[in-house]
Amino acid sequence: MDMKQHCVKLSVQPSRGLVDEKFTVLVQNLLPGFQLTIHALHQCEDGHSWEAFAHYTANATSIVNVSQDPSLGGTYSGVEPMGLLWSLRPVPGSKTGLRLRKMNVQTPMGVTISVYQGHQKEGFLDQVLLASVVVERWYMAPGVRRVPITEGRLTATLFLPSGPGPFPGLLDLWGWGGKLVEYRAALLASHGIASMALDYLTPKETGRMVDNDYFETAYRVLEQHPQILGSRIAMLGLSFGAGVTLRMAVYSKGLKLSCAVCINGSHVQPIDGPLEQIMTYFNKNVEKTRFDEDNQLICRDLMLPIPTDPSLKVDVGRLQCPLLLVVGEDDQNWPTYESAMDMREMMERAGNSHLLTVLSYKNAGHLIQPPFTPFTRASTFKSVTIPPFTMMALWGGELVAHSRAQEDAWRKTLVFLRENLYGDMKPGALFSNL
Amino acid sequence: MIALGGKMIPCYTVQRNLACIQRTVGGVHWTSSCRPAPLLTASPVCALIDDKISIRGHFLPPRCPVTVCAQMQSDDGDLWEAFAHFNTNLDGTVNLTRDPSVGGSYLGCEPMGLLWGLQPAPGAREGLRLRKKKVETPYVMLMSLLKGHVSPSERPSTELAAVTAERWYMAPGVRRIEIRQKGVVGTLFLPPGPGPFPAMLDLWGMGGGLVEYRSALFASRGYASFSLAYIGHKDLPGPQNRINVGDPYFKSAFQLLQDHPQVYPDRIGIIGLSFGVYLTLRLANHSDIKPSCLICINGPAGSTIKLRDADDRTEQMENDQKYWTYDDQGNVSFRAVSLPANLSPESKVKLEHLTCPLMYIVGEDDLSASSIENANLIEETLSATGKSQLFTRLSYPGAGHLIEPPYTPNSRVSLWSVKPQKLATLWGGHLAPHAAAQEDSWKKILEFMETNLRH
Repeated sequence: MDMKQHCVKLSVQPSRGLVDEKFTVLVQNLLPGFQLTIHALHQCEDGHSWEAFAHYTANATSIVNVSQDPSLGGTYSGVEPMGLLWSLRPVPGSKTGLRLRKMNVQTPMGVTISVYQGHQKEGFLDQVLLASVVVERWYMAPGVRRVPITEGRLTATLFLPSGPGPFPGLLDLWGWGGKLVEYRAALLASHGIASMALDYLTPKETGRMVDNDYFETAYRVLEQHPQILGSRIAMLGLSFGAGVTLRMAVYSKGLKLSCAVCINGSHVQPIDGPLEQIMTYFNKNVEKTRFDEDNQLICRDLMLPIPTDPSLKVDVGRLQCPLLLVVGEDDQNWPTYESAMDMREMMERAGNSHLLTVLSYKNAGHLIQPPFTPFTRASTFKSVTIPPFTMMALWGGELVAHSRAQEDAWRKTLVFLRENLYGDMKPGALFSNL
Repeated sequence: MIALGGKMIPCYTVQRNLACIQRTVGGVHWTSSCRPAPLLTASPVCALIDDKISIRGHFLPPRCPVTVCAQMQSDDGDLWEAFAHFNTNLDGTVNLTRDPSVGGSYLGCEPMGLLWGLQPAPGAREGLRLRKKKVETPYVMLMSLLKGHVSPSERPSTELAAVTAERWYMAPGVRRIEIRQKGVVGTLFLPPGPGPFPAMLDLWGMGGGLVEYRSALFASRGYASFSLAYIGHKDLPGPQNRINVGDPYFKSAFQLLQDHPQVYPDRIGIIGLSFGVYLTLRLANHSDIKPSCLICINGPAGSTIKLRDADDRTEQMENDQKYWTYDDQGNVSFRAVSLPANLSPESKVKLEHLTCPLMYIVGEDDLSASSIENANLIEETLSATGKSQLFTRLSYPGAGHLIEPPYTPNSRVSLWSVKPQKLATLWGGHLAPHAAAQEDSWKKILEFMETNLRH
């Protein structure tokens, strides 16, 4: 049947939001039984186009509400309020191995949400477009300040929440890819935590890797900041950054962390010697990496089996602050699950396991990111070594489970951070604005 | 993975001290060296002007006095502020959607009270009215949570938390297009999407200029909308204090919309406020102009002055002055100008020819126009010709002349002119009832447009 275009009303509320905020997509004034496709299109910073789409049939109320009605097919199915974002994938014809990451956090991610007649799968540009709106997704809330940090030869960006403070602080670390990745720190600042995104891997003039004093300098910058509570500083790391976080939390004299969050990392690393030694250690085991049938590199076996030699593991039994481990059980890049189990055992033996919280997600992969970030099972990865080494890394995970994990892990990470950075409070009070 | 060369440095182990004390015991601790400040949140943090926002304070001591304060700078740089006093809940929260204000800019439970309760800050210029000139940028609202029941001037010493929120007239993807065609002066707003769209012609009052914000908001809600200037604009002919355009001008504007490739030519409505009501009715009266609906807010069905006529004569505005009245402070009320008895008989629009639904919105405390009387006049005329089914009246006690999009503050009086001397004019309207009128009428305006322009 034909839908009169002037009738169809498409709205997305809110049309401007933070990237972790849910939205409601509503299509109104439809004829009952009318078939439509809701389509999302995003052009990322490097020019590639990503799309998601879902098929709906209007019910007797003539409305399609994505938060309540099931998708009958598309890039997601079932009732998925935010499926149009997390199921975004490169449009047909794109090159392989793409990953969606926003590097400029001062502009929003623009997503065009459209309604097409019928259940369409492809060739959207040629279809009958009934309505279209633009949605902005921001990593920075209004009032959040972005402050580049250059002191102490740091490569870092500090994000300060709006308001007088004082705010708790956080050091935010990513993994092997290096570069200054700001979006998670910007988002944490949008939730009231002064966060510093720290690049510790991109080769500096010395050509050598940084060491503990680099992180201690970063910590001191936070501690001494007039708007940051020096006594409430956390550290959060993903992948290799998680290993660095554990190392600093246990061994660094200069860092007094209120808590630590480690996402898909490991405590396995040579603890005697500088950070660089870790590279050497991995290099020694490089023959343990393997390629799957799609020629994607699986690195998780590099650190397996989990060593029994104490000099090859951060002694988490000596940890004195709360630790949250986020585990993607299908992580193909790091042996996250095995490491988490070993850490739990070490802490139980040492008597400090009351500090440990483990969030473990079946079928989630390595890249557990802020919620609604499009899922990437494998992508092109360029290491920061000199010369750089490019490969197709298999991250693991399955679309729906991984997306659920991102949403749940983020919520719980914010609760964990608030509990440990804000002191005494009732968890119920927190969930209401997440 | 390729190894980097490196040097050995001695590993050192550390004996760490515990982080600071987790609990504060006894008494009311607002902040301490250990515990950072409470939290203030607003959701959504970037909203459209007609969106409600939820403002909440968290992590406060229970049953304690707090103040929530809002500050916003107008396009002209004037500071507007509002504040409300609360007592926190047992769980240490304050929630403006749930809790009553016990003092400040408004009283009682009013989720949007900090917005419509905004007033010029102490020390501001006189006679201000809050109107957004640049619709492509948002209002930036700084909201603060203060300790105790205080006024905003005490902000620096008592501030516990703050949040910044944005309030927009334009949704993402809305296009703003300046129109200077065939002598017509206006701004067109198009919604995002393929079009075509149903549309509105948007008319304001004798204040003149080009008022864009209502149109921007209509476009953000899916309607093409054209704000039209007809007096007091540099791109219009003749002296700026007179209306130098006539019927052909308004017809051209309507046709411009009809001819636009992204507008449905048979789905165009007209909205007018104040003198814009007369223009709306007059335009709709032409046999070759067929709007789908009309929305009239607080305006006359006729006029005391003539529009530019066939011989290019325009009458002086000063003829109206004999109907002006003044209050004790010397503020002028234009109300009597539009009393039906004072309108020139030949100007009264022949509503007998009306063919589309008409919604008339009355602010019962309108001190600038005789809205009740004109609503009655229109209703009677339509009744007499068997067209009462076309007429809908919304009437709001306590509301004034300037019934505008919701959650914006009303000015009961504001500066009208500075020459030959400073003159302020009375608009009427009491704070809370006027805010309620704006909220309810806007909702009904959008529903009316939906019914008549979409279906």
